[in-house]
Amino acid sequence: MKEYDGRVRLVFKDRPLASHALARPAHEAARCAGALGKYWEYHDLLFEAQPAFARADLLAYAGEIGLDRAEFARCLDERRFAAEVEADVGQATALGILATPTLLVNGHLIQGAPPLDTFRAIIEQALRARR
Amino acid sequence: MRRAPGPARRSPRVYTIGLASALALVLWAAAAAAQVQLTITASMARGPATAAVTIIEFSDYQ
Repeated sequence: MKEYDGRVRLVFKDRPLASHALARPAHEAARCAGALGKYWEYHDLLFEAQPAFARADLLAYAGEIGLDRAEFARCLDERRFAAEVEADVGQATALGILATPTLLVNGHLIQGAPPLDTFRAIIEQALRARR
Repeated sequence: MRRAPGPARRSPRVYTIGLASALALVLWAAAAAAQVQLTITASMARGPATAAVTIIEFSDYQ
């Protein structure tokens, strides 16, 4: 992202897979962290820690990045962001996105994670198209 | 004289099912091609909203 600073916007959208039993709580937990101001820190931690997404793990990660554990636990246990996660899933389904990761680069769909050089080329092409 | 059997005739019901499936396929394809309104949660976005390129990643954490 740094090499494209100011020229690229990255947006994460939830697409928990049904085959991953603890996926939804993890996605809801990340949104709880976002509500407390540390979405990306928690997002990065989840990817590092996968697939350890039991409730105790999710709470521990919140503590690791300095979130208010009581507030975070309340958010998680209330499933405060369940509807938002479901909304993202609905949008993914509407787009026919069944596998992850799937990217949309200025609306063009790319399935899977391309190698870094390929990804750069895709971004460069999209930047050229916008000039 | 026994008449030779003619070509098997499909019942009207088979044709109806076939037509319904074809129509469903066309409608599905049209829906998939239609624009889908995507919402962006501000805390889950990095970079300026005015950026020339927007990358939206649908992903699972596992």
